[in-house]
Amino acid sequence: MLQVENTLFTIVMIIYFVSMILYFIFIAAKKETFSKIAVYLHLGALVLHTAALVCRGIGAGRLPLTNQYEFATSFAWGLSLVSLIFIWKFKFPVLGAFAAPVIFLIIGYAAMQSKEVKELMPALRSNWLGFHVSTAIISYGAFGVSFVLGIIFLLRDRMKEESFWGQHTPAKEKLDMISYRAVALGLLFLTFTIITGAIWAERAWGSYWSWDPKETWSLVTWIIYAIYLHLRIRRGWEGKAAATFAVIGFVCVIFTYIGVNTFLPGLHSYK
Amino acid sequence: MKKVWKFLTSMKLAIALLIILAAACAGASFINQGQSYDFYAQMYSERAAALILALSLDDAFHSWWFIAINAFLCLNLLGCNLIRLPQLIRRTKAEKTPDPKTLISAGTREEGISDPKKVFESLHFTSPAEGSFEGKKTLSASKNRIGYWGAWVTHLGILLLIIGFSLGQMTHQEYTVYGVPGQTKMIEGTDLAVTIDDFRIGLREDDTVEQYTADITVQDLSVPDGARESTEISVNHPGKLFGMSFYQNSTGWAAKVGIKKSGNDLQNDVICAGEYVPVRDLPELVVFFNAFYPDYVLVPGVGPQTQSGQLNNPAYLYSLYYQGEILGMNVLMPDEKITVSDYEITFSEPQPYTLIQVKKDSFQSLAFLGGILTMIGLILSFYLLPEKILAVEEEDGTFTVYGHSPKGGALFKERLKKAVLAGKDGSQQ
Ligand code: HEM
Repeated sequence: MLQVENTLFTIVMIIYFVSMILYFIFIAAKKETFSKIAVYLHLGALVLHTAALVCRGIGAGRLPLTNQYEFATSFAWGLSLVSLIFIWKFKFPVLGAFAAPVIFLIIGYAAMQSKEVKELMPALRSNWLGFHVSTAIISYGAFGVSFVLGIIFLLRDRMKEESFWGQHTPAKEKLDMISYRAVALGLLFLTFTIITGAIWAERAWGSYWSWDPKETWSLVTWIIYAIYLHLRIRRGWEGKAAATFAVIGFVCVIFTYIGVNTFLPGLHSYK
Repeated sequence: MKKVWKFLTSMKLAIALLIILAAACAGASFINQGQSYDFYAQMYSERAAALILALSLDDAFHSWWFIAINAFLCLNLLGCNLIRLPQLIRRTKAEKTPDPKTLISAGTREEGISDPKKVFESLHFTSPAEGSFEGKKTLSASKNRIGYWGAWVTHLGILLLIIGFSLGQMTHQEYTVYGVPGQTKMIEGTDLAVTIDDFRIGLREDDTVEQYTADITVQDLSVPDGARESTEISVNHPGKLFGMSFYQNSTGWAAKVGIKKSGNDLQNDVICAGEYVPVRDLPELVVFFNAFYPDYVLVPGVGPQTQSGQLNNPAYLYSLYYQGEILGMNVLMPDEKITVSDYEITFSEPQPYTLIQVKKDSFQSLAFLGGILTMIGLILSFYLLPEKILAVEEEDGTFTVYGHSPKGGALFKERLKKAVLAGKDGSQQ
């Protein structure tokens, strides 16, 4: 099973790469045929990626969500899923051109991690941990999409209406709304993540919140998006300011995910 | 006064507080918490260390300024929710049938619709109410009014979360007990005694640990023959006895320390690594059990190490004190003994002990309730967006439709446009 997963993972990486290139060609050549193929490849990669995760789960005999490799590949999966849903729902392939490199970077990061399957220490054997990490994946995926949308918004802000960008990206007002939908999904799931994580911590360590750096940074991330929501309500602050916060928010997400393990000590370091 | 209240309940303050809070948390996470002046002086500089201590940055999350930020946030949340409550109730009631005037002025307008019912249907509005406005026939409906409560419920949830967490921090009791099966220990500061009935380490085939499980009995000693309660606890499965939570926290090694005097048994005590026993008839002489190595090797340049968790080559690191002065420190193998004048000291029967954490936090459920409310509030805010539409019959028999969704924005307008196409005759969708 793990061998199958290994092969699938490589194939998935290649398809994501090809799909990314096609998205780029779509932007460069301004031909919609390329975006169509790119979206289909994106879908194909997502299906195989799902299969790879299932194989990993069967091979390891548990949810494939416990070490740095598994979380990285799942994170890429989450971003791939949420971005595809948004591309499809809002008929917005340009989003793919911006999401694909982020997906590729994360899956590339996954490829650099150790794929060894290790038995779990007792504290990690918990259903709450399963909920905790799977909600984090959806949340991070959604925040990744809002990050990409924020960047598109800020770029579009500088482009003319009649340009390719004006034609192929939704109006700024709509872009802002789509980004809001992505942040909403992300924040709801981040709240799930934090609460299930707190329940798990209480059961495993006897304390539901102990200001360990990862907890602290997930709170910082959460607050950043709360600020985003309140800025959007204030007249004149939706749009550009909100888009900037969506970008900052995702930087916090990445820092929570990678930076904390690298730079700061804490309970979560074994992840 | 009015100005102060207005400021305290403003969203401007909310945003400012949230920014400060995020910055404070982020900043504090870069400073090692709970260290000494010397630590910071070495890590940064003496000046920085003094500053860190002066500003309580060494314990940022319990510092006066951190509490102050949160207190202001609570006031802000409470004030904002109080102010908005009456208007929220009014709005929810009033909008059961939307007010044509406000809809006409604020809504998106679409003209020339022959079959308005189709528009309602296509937007999933059930049973629009008939009415009239300025002599014209109207149809109107509203949806997801409960969504107006989303922010309010979220704010209430956060408020309870902060209050529950803070009260818990201030009032919670926390103890640790450790021992080997058969031992009974008092939970210090309480009248409860914990007996460890059993302690098991579940191993997998590859010798990694799957689970630590302890059977415990707790007895209330405040009265003679007090009540007893028993339970099994393991990692991720705490138990609740006498209103306290018991967590299987960690494990370590214990051993039997035997002391003979002139060849006769003087005492036998089971102690855990890190503990000591005084010699019964010479209490100035103390045996300290520093550490235990189940699979001992001496690594040159590093010192004593264990190669595995298996009892392949047990060894005990001990030290001896007399009147507070160290006499010596060494590694003792099971067949060896320490001789000090008439006394012979041996270590034997190594076995794992369990460390149990005991906790009582009466406000945990309040914080939990806050968390649940926050989640419900977010679902209401994000997934039940209030929408209302109104169709007004014009003189030519067609309808003009007005739609409004305060939070639906451009996406609602788009959906309305699509729905209007369905309601226009001859238009193929
Ligand atoms: C930790 C603090 C806070 C959090 C997490 C929070 C969260 C939220 C959320 C999730 C929404 C809904 C946004 C949306 O639907 O797009 C919201 C709306 C709002 N918040 Fe807060 N909030 C906080 C503090 C405050 C405070 C202190 C105020 C006080 C003025 C405030 C005022 C508002 C207002 C006026 C709205 C708009 C309500 C509406 O759309 O009906 N918020 N907040």
